Parts: sequence; structure tokens; C-alpha cells
Amino acid sequence: MKFNLTLGVVDKPGQLLKAFEPIAKNGGNIVSVIHDRENPGGYVPVSLVVDFPSKENFNNTKKELEKINIPIIKSEEAVERANTTLILIGKSDLKRFIENIESKEVKILDFEVSSPNSERPCAKINIEAPPLILNDIIQKLKRTAKKENLILIPSW
Amino acid sequence: MKLILVGFGFVGKSFIEAIIEKIQILKKFDKNFKLVGVSDRDGYLYNENGLDLVKLSGINKISEYQRDLFNGKSSINLIEKSEADIMIEATPTNIEDGEPGLSHIKKALSEVMHVVTSNKGPLVIAFKELTNLAKKNKLELKYEATVVAGVPVFSLIKECMQGDKIVRISGILNGTTNYILSKMYFEETDFELVLKEAQERGFAEKDPTYDIEAIDPACKVVILANTLMKKNVTIKDVERTGIKDITSEAVSLAKKSGYVIKLIGTIDENLEVAPKLIRLNHPLCIHGILNAVHFETDLAKEITIVGHGAGKETVSSIMNDLISIIRRQ
Repeated sequence: MKFNLTLGVVDKPGQLLKAFEPIAKNGGNIVSVIHDRENPGGYVPVSLVVDFPSKENFNNTKKELEKINIPIIKSEEAVERANTTLILIGKSDLKRFIENIESKEVKILDFEVSSPNSERPCAKINIEAPPLILNDIIQKLKRTAKKENLILIPSW
Repeated sequence: MKLILVGFGFVGKSFIEAIIEKIQILKKFDKNFKLVGVSDRDGYLYNENGLDLVKLSGINKISEYQRDLFNGKSSINLIEKSEADIMIEATPTNIEDGEPGLSHIKKALSEVMHVVTSNKGPLVIAFKELTNLAKKNKLELKYEATVVAGVPVFSLIKECMQGDKIVRISGILNGTTNYILSKMYFEETDFELVLKEAQERGFAEKDPTYDIEAIDPACKVVILANTLMKKNVTIKDVERTGIKDITSEAVSLAKKSGYVIKLIGTIDENLEVAPKLIRLNHPLCIHGILNAVHFETDLAKEITIVGHGAGKETVSSIMNDLISIIRRQ
């Protein structure tokens, strides 16, 4: 299970290593580290993505970090996102079509329309969603497109 | 072994030329190999001592071969009379009722002949019936040429990947539509213009419905699904979207985003043929009249095989099916 963890680490030698110890002890595998040294105030925010064997390991890590006085700025389960490109051909109410898919989990990253005044206009839509629901979204869009006599070309 | 050829069109004639070229290989496996009969829609030729292959390759209609060997009766009569060991069925595809190929294959299997065919129609209409009949009579029914003509799709899986479980098959299964979509991509021209040019160059039929409405690739999806994924499906089970509504603007939009639009046949939990956006670095991003089949399996993971899906190359598959049968006898 992947988690996002942002820690406030004192800008002194050895502090980052100290922060990593509870993570390693609880079986966490650090997938990525970003630290912002430009941030003034003596604390460096360190953003980590950590893969833990379970949520319990994650909670234990947080407790141990608190014990050794390392502030936790943010902690949450990481939701994987995937994006895909679609092309839509035919006359459609694009705003309504987009509203149909946009939700808390699904984001429209961008869209581009070509020949909007022609008989067969087309649009390219980039969407982002959790990978597990991406296929369901495409199936839903295909059904909508079919109903409205549009051609939907999804990415393979 | 005695062979008969039913169908003397482009594929049939190309096959005769291939036999002439490869006769040494055929004779190596069977010194008594001979072609004893050939039929077309006008009638048939039969000579139990074998027909002259070079003479056959020089004629357009079998009635031009030798008057006393020509019989105006049907191919079914040839199948009954010939007592051949193997029939090559190379009549044109008809997916309405599979005829006349369906009757030819049924007759040959009931007359205890192995069958090699390049005709999709009978397999799309009666896959189970034909494969069961062949099994019951302990005969071979081979049809490598029906899907991506010259490319050994079935042989690859059946011979080289016997332990693999196929998770998904996808592919560009029609050369005409791939030619049209490739031209639209590279030359940024409209569908109608490219179709006209394809017809003039002989890459598309005068009536292009089978290709552009995705009927031809849907037939191949049925044969692939039934053969390699043990499904029991017909063309009605394939969701189809053709390419006639693809605009040059859509192709350009895709191109700007690093994609190309291709007509892709897919077999997994669902069966579908529809235009899809393919990344330029994906193995299915192949152009012109080429076809490709992409397999996803549990052991080998991903394998793609690319080649010619129509034309003279078809005889490669027919020849391999024929040699496989001869070698097993």
C-alpha cells in the first residue's frame, strides 16, 4: 500500500536518516523523496511516497515519528492516477459530455476541439482517474457516444 | 497423397504456382504427391494420374486445360469422385451462409479427406460443426490462411506457445483499412479520397463494405476467439465500429498528441473491432497494407507478429498447412 507522507525535518546533518529509521523498521519501501531546501524557517519539508506492507505499519511509523519529534505535515493513502486520451467525432454538446464524466475521482486534464462548425467536428479529451475505474468510465462514455450517434475513439 | 483444389481464383492459381516451385519439398515428404483434381464454378478437371501443374498455371479457366478431362459438373462431384486424401478449399468468402465453401468442407470431411482452407466464411458460420466433424472423423481441418493470410498466427501459438494461457489478443486484421488509415495519417487527406485511390490501386474492393464496416476483421476475431481462446462465438457477438466516419481532423488531432488511429480487433472478455488510438511506439503501430497480431499471455507476456494479410502471401500458410498434414501421415 502506498502512502504520501510529508515530514518537517530539521535542516541539520543526520536528521533525514533519523526520520527514515521508523519507516525502514516498519517495512516501508521509499518510492520517492522530494525535499524543498528553499523553504525558510529551519524545517525542510520532505515529501515521501512510501510503500508499506499494511496500513498498520504506516500507523506505527507515524506514532514512532511523533515519539522522536519529527512533525508530520501530511499523511494520506496515495491514490494512483492514470490518464488517457479520447477522441470524439460528431456534433455533440461537449460541455454536457464532459459533465457526464467529471466527478470527484475523474478529472478532465484538457480538451481541444477541431472544426467546431463543420458537419463532423471532433474533440480530443484527456482524462485522469484511478486506474481501477478508468475502463468503466470509457465504457460509460462509449454508451453515451453510441446513444448520441457519435464515434468515440479511446486509447488502446 | 492425392490432392484436389477447389477454387481456381487468385489464391488457387497462386497456390498452383507455389506447388510448382516447392514440388521438391512436397515430394521429399511424400513421393507420391500429386494434384488429381481442380474445380471452379464452371466445372472440374480430374485425372487420377495427376494434372500437369505447368499447364494449369498457364490458363485462366479450367475449361481451357484439356477438353476430355473437363467435366461441367459441380465441385461437390469432384470431391465425391476423386477419393483424394486432402482438399484445398480456396473459394471466395461468403459470410451470409458460408457457401459454397461450407458444403465443400462438409462433403470433404464426410468423404474422409483432410481439409486446408483459406475461406473464412465456413468457419465463421459453422466453426463448431466443422471442427467437431473433423475430430469425429479423425481428420485435420487447417485454416491458417483465414486470419492474416501469410502470417503463422495459429501455428505460432499451437506449436511454439503450448504452455501459455492467452489473456488477450488484439490486432490490425485488415490490410485495406490499415492502408486507408495510414494514408490519412501521412498525407492528411479525407477518407473518401483515400478510399477511391485504394480502389484504383486494387487495395480495396469496388464494394468496400466488408472492409470499411469492419466485417472482415470481425470474422477473423471470431476465428481467433474460437480457436485460440476456446470461445464459442459468432460474428453477432463482435461489437463493430468501422472507419468510414473517421475524419482527417480526428486523425490530425490524434497525430498532434502522439497517436495514430488504427482499426483494432480485440479479444478478451469482450469481442470488438473498433478504431483505437495507438501510441507511435506501440508494436501495433504498423502502416500500409500490413497486418499485425499482438498476444498477451501469462508466460511469454507480449508477442507481436506482423506480415501480409492478403495477396499471394496467402499461399505460404496454405502450403505450411498442407505440408503439416503430409508429414503427419
